Amino acid sequence: MISVLRAEWIKVRTVRVHWVIVIIAVAFPTVVATLVGVFNPNPEWVASRDVIDLVSGVCVVTLLLLASLWVINLTSEYAHGTIRVSYAAVPARWKVLLGKAIVGTVVTLVVMSTAFWAAWFVGSTILNQRGSSIDLSDLSDQGVAIGGVFPSLLALAVIVSWFALGLGAIIRNSPASVVVVLLWPLLIENLVALALTLAGVESASKWMPYQAAIQAIGDDGWNGDMLGRPAAQLYFGAVALTLLGIGVLLDSRRDA
Amino acid sequence: MIDVEGLTKRFGRHTAVDSLSFSVAEGRVTGFLGPNGSGKSTTMRCMVGLDHADAGVVRFGGQPYSSLRRPLETVGLLLDASYVHPARTGRNHLRWLAASNGISQSRVDEVLALVGLTDVADKRLRNYSLGMKQRLGLAATMLGDPGVVILDEPANGLDPEGIRWIRDMLRYLASQGRAVLVSSHQLSEMSLMAEDLIVIGRGRLIDQCSVQDFVRRNTTTRVRVRSPQVGEILRQMRTLGATGEYVGDSAVSDTALIAGVSIVTVGETAAKVGAVLHELSEVSESLEDAFLAVTASEQEYRSGGGS
Repeated sequence: MISVLRAEWIKVRTVRVHWVIVIIAVAFPTVVATLVGVFNPNPEWVASRDVIDLVSGVCVVTLLLLASLWVINLTSEYAHGTIRVSYAAVPARWKVLLGKAIVGTVVTLVVMSTAFWAAWFVGSTILNQRGSSIDLSDLSDQGVAIGGVFPSLLALAVIVSWFALGLGAIIRNSPASVVVVLLWPLLIENLVALALTLAGVESASKWMPYQAAIQAIGDDGWNGDMLGRPAAQLYFGAVALTLLGIGVLLDSRRDA
Repeated sequence: MIDVEGLTKRFGRHTAVDSLSFSVAEGRVTGFLGPNGSGKSTTMRCMVGLDHADAGVVRFGGQPYSSLRRPLETVGLLLDASYVHPARTGRNHLRWLAASNGISQSRVDEVLALVGLTDVADKRLRNYSLGMKQRLGLAATMLGDPGVVILDEPANGLDPEGIRWIRDMLRYLASQGRAVLVSSHQLSEMSLMAEDLIVIGRGRLIDQCSVQDFVRRNTTTRVRVRSPQVGEILRQMRTLGATGEYVGDSAVSDTALIAGVSIVTVGETAAKVGAVLHELSEVSESLEDAFLAVTASEQEYRSGGGS
């Protein structure tokens, strides 16, 4: 399995578009934090929690870019036929997909951590120079950032990367898979929730896996309309792993 | 050594490969021939598990492909040279492939040198010509120094120098004791490259033998004779049960092609009747003639025109 992981890591880092996506994914939250830091009209009123919320909100873009990266990484193998070379080299197909999932998880953790803390550092530094007093020495802010929001964001990013891989393995087409991965949180779940609500289902959005998990990032406590932090993430994680499992199963049964 | 037993692959109601059995010997180049749509590529994909066979067993040195721990060290495979990511460099394509089977990165440089791509190894594959991709594909097959090499149309897109290079390369690989299975539509090239043949049509085995046996069994060797007394020679030949015909207009032609007797018999007969010979030679038909004769009824797709 180590050799498969090495191969998958080489595949990821030897395609330029992957690096372009990673650079944008890391830079975007920092650019937004910089703009907010520079142009905020009342920096003295900005608290640590505000910066944490800003950065975690903007990092959703990072998360979606990473999801696109993993979709492209897999589906481009189908598009260019390299999946046949991969499966000829590693006949146990599940190992290839597991290798992609593991490499994807590690890269997602590193990129998301870098994006989050770089944006935090730049944003808070600029705001502090303009009169704010933002730091994580306050234990409650520490708890929110390090104990709650940040790990939740990391968990969501990893789950979305599995979700993206699963969809990619099922759909096998880059444009279609990227569209579904991006529209799922932005449109599809909202439409499904709306349809269920119109059909009389109560708290339908609570059971939309992505919506539940993303709402849980900033959730400090239990709210009746939300699943809450661990439950929402476990729920979305189960959905993503189920999709990935279906993808692996279909891939092993199909002709390459 | 490759052993294929009863390989069958169906796509819905269409049987692409039908109980196909053959073996490929070590130390020889074996050509894999068949008309378009005869199931050659499907057979090759089934052999390495890329397509799931409905029945049959394929063994490489006694082992099924799926049980090989490091397949690239047993089987080198080139199904399609375009199976590369265009944004990756040639070197990086080989690097991930080598890493997947625990093959050292230094081996990548060795095989790049072997196929003459060292100078362009760091160019992106979108800038490679088809011929360069074929060379890269052959480099990939050699990464694990395998005992079996399988290539589907490796000469496609190659210029004459490239075709000669790949012919020499495959012969060299076979001379090292490897079993080499190669499909190609270039029959003249195949006759120079291969020692053995496997011929299939509509997914079924038509023949497996040496190239020479295949041509001999499926073509007629004729004797070409040119003489001012060609009519007399033809008459004598017919009395011996041979068949013959003039080349061109019988009223003016001094040349005939005679079948059914040896060149020695024609020469001796000419001497008996006192004929002056301007030419006496054997005319052998080619592998292409033999192939077309054998597969005439096995063509899946054929043109509508012509006779």
